[in-house]
This record gives sequence, structure tokens and C-alpha cells, in this order.
Amino acid sequence: MKLMPSRPNVEAKAAPARQTGAAMITIDRVSQVFRTSGRREHLAISDISLTIEDGAFVSILGPSGCGKSTLLYIVGGFVSPTEGVARVKGKAIRGPGPDRGPVFQEFALFPWKSVLGNVMYGPRQQGVKSGEAEAQSRALIEKVGLKGFEHFYPKELSGGMKQRVALARTLAYHPAVLLMDEPFGALDAHTRTRLQNDLLKIWERDRKTVLFVTHSVEEAVFLSDRVVVMTRAPGRIKQIVEIDLPRPRRRSELLLDPRYQKYVVDIEGMIDDTSEDELRP
Amino acid sequence: MTVIRAFVSRSAPLMACLGLLAIWQVAALMLKTDSFPGAWEAIKAIPSILGDQESLINILASIRRMAIGFSVAVLVSIPLGLMMGRSRAVASFFNPLLMITYPVPKAALMPIILLWLGVGDIAKMLVIFLGVSLPVIYHSFQGAKAIEEKMLWSGAAMGLSAAQRMIRIVLPAALPEILTGCRTGLVLALITMVTSEMIARQSGAGNILFNALDMGQYDTVYAMIIIIGAMGIGLDAAFERLRARLVRWSEPGFEIPLSFA
Ligand SMILES: Nc1ncnc2c1ncn2[C@@H]1O[C@H](COP(=O)(O)OP(=O)(O)OP(=O)(O)O)[C@@H](O)[C@H]1O
Ligand SMILES: [Mg+2]
Repeated sequence: MKLMPSRPNVEAKAAPARQTGAAMITIDRVSQVFRTSGRREHLAISDISLTIEDGAFVSILGPSGCGKSTLLYIVGGFVSPTEGVARVKGKAIRGPGPDRGPVFQEFALFPWKSVLGNVMYGPRQQGVKSGEAEAQSRALIEKVGLKGFEHFYPKELSGGMKQRVALARTLAYHPAVLLMDEPFGALDAHTRTRLQNDLLKIWERDRKTVLFVTHSVEEAVFLSDRVVVMTRAPGRIKQIVEIDLPRPRRRSELLLDPRYQKYVVDIEGMIDDTSEDELRP
Repeated sequence: MTVIRAFVSRSAPLMACLGLLAIWQVAALMLKTDSFPGAWEAIKAIPSILGDQESLINILASIRRMAIGFSVAVLVSIPLGLMMGRSRAVASFFNPLLMITYPVPKAALMPIILLWLGVGDIAKMLVIFLGVSLPVIYHSFQGAKAIEEKMLWSGAAMGLSAAQRMIRIVLPAALPEILTGCRTGLVLALITMVTSEMIARQSGAGNILFNALDMGQYDTVYAMIIIIGAMGIGLDAAFERLRARLVRWSEPGFEIPLSFA
């Protein structure tokens, strides 16, 4: 048994094919230019290529403003890239669809709906009978730890609670791909750990494809099959690290595992490098 | 302490009304002119107006025109305002039109409208319609424009079509703002109703008022002012209740009875 992982794969564009399955999402030389209100052009992400296999859990790490959300929006079909194409199951992405469920950094809950109403919205839209949708939604709400808050409105919830509702609302309509933008960012350490475990359990059971944006290196290593490290703006892929840790992963075992620790330290180093690059004129 | 405070805040609007009437009464007693009867005389004239069948028919006719003008205006203006808020093309088409009509007093259009449509109900309802439309369009527009994009994205990801997003996301999300516009519209409906009847005398509450003025029946004039004012306050309070109910999810946690905010 080898204790130390081999040096992480540095070649960004030629990520090795994984055993998990066929390509679910292919991002092919995608760039995004925004026109800002000062009529200046701003290159948010530049020449990104990435393949995500069916059932893979991929995290994106990078400094604030490097274009992580933008990349997620492109895969979601909310923004069409200035250059390049993104595909889902081989088909060019034209717009949003229920096969890709976003969990936004800003929650974007429906303020006129209660917690239950928000979570039921997707299943109802998909034609699930109201009684069934309610039962499923109540179970999900309990799962994210909000039992008893079913009839609260979003304005009556804390940031972390809203985040959990947003998570439940997206899980409720069973998208094949989850696009999660710092979904645990507003949570306390304890809830965060619990929801990470829950997400892993859901993922290990359903084998959804997950694209997961986070600022936490530990979180990325703990959850992912692969961690994508981006450079400072304009965002490029700096490195892709395959996380070769056994599953199912148990937090208590993993934290003591030197391979896990090495991944965390290595990736933190890459992020530091990124900021040093930036300091050079 | 809290009981007293609750009593004071609950009865404050009533106190304000009584205070106003008292000042009126005192002023009338001091001025002693025929054209300015006291509050008490005006109030005394109210039962005879409301008891008179013809007056009642007149007042009900006013209310009917107002209700129709207001409803049609709301039904047209909300969809228009929302579409303007979501589509740049629609907004840039209608914006100049609205900018021109906005500052024009709707009563000033009355003579032209009368020329085209005669002195009947249609002309008056059209004026009310015009008066109500603008604030409702404006607020619907603002409400739809301010919606957080990601709310619509969430809906799109769940499979809502553009039309469904309009009805099931834009409309409810903009509802607080829309209802603010409707509330302004309701008061404007009352004002344009009275002015339209002042210009095209034929029937209505405004007609009773101005006829009485011509005939020097000043207690009737002031009684009508009280009746119209009470209608305004009553309608506004009723609408405010409805509004607060519909958008409870967006309200901060306290209430002012009969607020004019
Ligand atoms: N609609 C827009 N118009 C103009 N510029 C934009 C727009 N959206 C994003 N940007 C710019 O694109 C860059 C990337 O933004 P993005 O939100 O994707 O960053 P991020 O990596 O998600 O950051 P954070 O970690 O802070 O969420 C930023 O520099 C931002 O200013
Ligand atoms: Mg972001």
C-alpha cells in the first residue's frame, strides 16, 4: 500500500479518463468576457477546459473573483460563454434545465413561499402530486435540520438556514447534476460538517454528478474525486488534483490519514503560489 | 403601561379626525360666514343626503365608474408594467409614451375626451383609467426590474417556461411594489372621479357637490366633502388590509393603523 499520493497531475487540459463513467459535462475552451458598466471589457475566465464524468464529484477552488461562479453559471445554462462550448451528455448547453440543479451563493429563495413551499416548488413543477411532494419535501427539510421551520418565510430565517433551504430546494427535484456555489459557506462549523456528511451520503447513494465551488481546501479534499485549482482573475485552471482516497469516506478516519493531510497541504501550497504570482509585476 | 400605549396608538387616527373637526368648528364659529358652515352643521346634513334616493343613485353611479375604471386600469397596467420591467424592448417602446402622459393632468384631457366620447360613463371611466394606470404601471415596472435574477434562474432550472416565470415568479416577487402602486392608484381613482364629474356634470357625487355649490347650499357642499373623504379613507384602509394580508411575507414586523405611508 502506498501511503503518499503520487505528485498531483499538473496538466490541466489532459485530465486522465476516470473509471466512473462517460463524460457528463464537457467544458471546451470556454472564455467569458463581461462588459462592465464603465463600458470596459472584463475577462472573467479564460480558456477553461474540463471534463466531468457521470457520477464524479469535482470541486473548484480559487481566490475570490476568479470566475468560479461564472463557470457554474455557464454549465447551468444561465450565461452563454463568449467563446467555447459547454456540453452536457454531449449536447451543447442552450439554457437551464431540470437535469442541472443550481444552489446559488445568494440562495435566491422565493420570499413569498414558506420553507415547505420553496422545497416543494420543484417537485410540483415536475408534476409530482401535492401530497407526495409534501411528504418528500418534509423529509428533506428534516434532513437539512430545519424540522419545525416548515412554515417560516425566508425573511424569518438566518443566513445558514436559508442556505440549507436552498440546498433542500434543489435536491428536491433530483437533478442529475448538482451545481453548488459555496453551499456551506454561511454555516457554522458543526452544521457544515453534518451537511458535508449528509451530502456525501446522498452522493454515494445516488451517484449524482457534482460541481462544487468552495473556499475550503479541507472540504474540497474531503468531498471530491478531483479538485480544480484556479488562478486569480482572469480565471484559468492552474492545476487539477485527483483525490485518490478510498470511499466511503469517514471524516474521523480521514482527518488522521496522512494522504488526506498531504493533499490539503499540497493544495494550500498551490493557492499560495497563485497569490505570489499575482504579486509579481 | 402597555395597555395605555396600545389604546393610544389604536385610537390615534380617531383622535386626529376628531381634532380636525374641532378645529373646523372653532374656525367656523370665529369667521361666521355663510360659505363656511361649522363641522356640526355639515355632519347634520349627511343623513339627509344619504337618505335621499336620488343622491344615493348618484353616489353609487360614481362608485361604479370608479370601480370599473380602476379594475380595467389595474388589469392592463400590471402586465404591461411587468413586461416593461423584464424586457428592454418593451420598456423602450412604452417609456416615451408614459413620459409624455405622466405630467399631463388627466382632468385637462377631459374636454378632448368629452368631445370624442360625449359626457357619458365611458368618458369618465376613461379619465379614471388614465389616472390609475400610470402609478400602477410605474410601480409594476420598478418591481419587476428589481427582481433578483437568480430567482428567475432557479425557476428556469426547475423547468418553468418564460411565460410561467412571468406569472409564477415575477408577479409574486413584484407584488409588494405592485400593490403600493395600486394603493396610490386607488386614491387617484377617487380624485379623478370627482374631477371628471366636476367637468362633465351629469350625475355622481361630484355633481351633487358642485350643484349644491352653485345653489349656495354650503352645508351640503361640506357634507359631500366629508362623504367623499370618508369614502377615500375607507377604501384606502380596506385596501391596506388586503395588501398587508397578501404580502405578509415581505412586511417588517409592525403595523400602523390607517397609515398613509
Ligand atoms: N454580470 C457581470 N458583469 C460584469 N462583470 C461580472 C459579472 N459577473 C461577474 N463579473 C466579474 O467576473 C469575475 C468573476 O466573478 P465570479 O462571481 O464568477 O467570481 P467568483 O470566483 O465566484 O468569486 P467569489 O469567490 O467571490 O464568489 C469578477 O471579477 C466579477 O467582477
Ligand atoms: Mg462566486
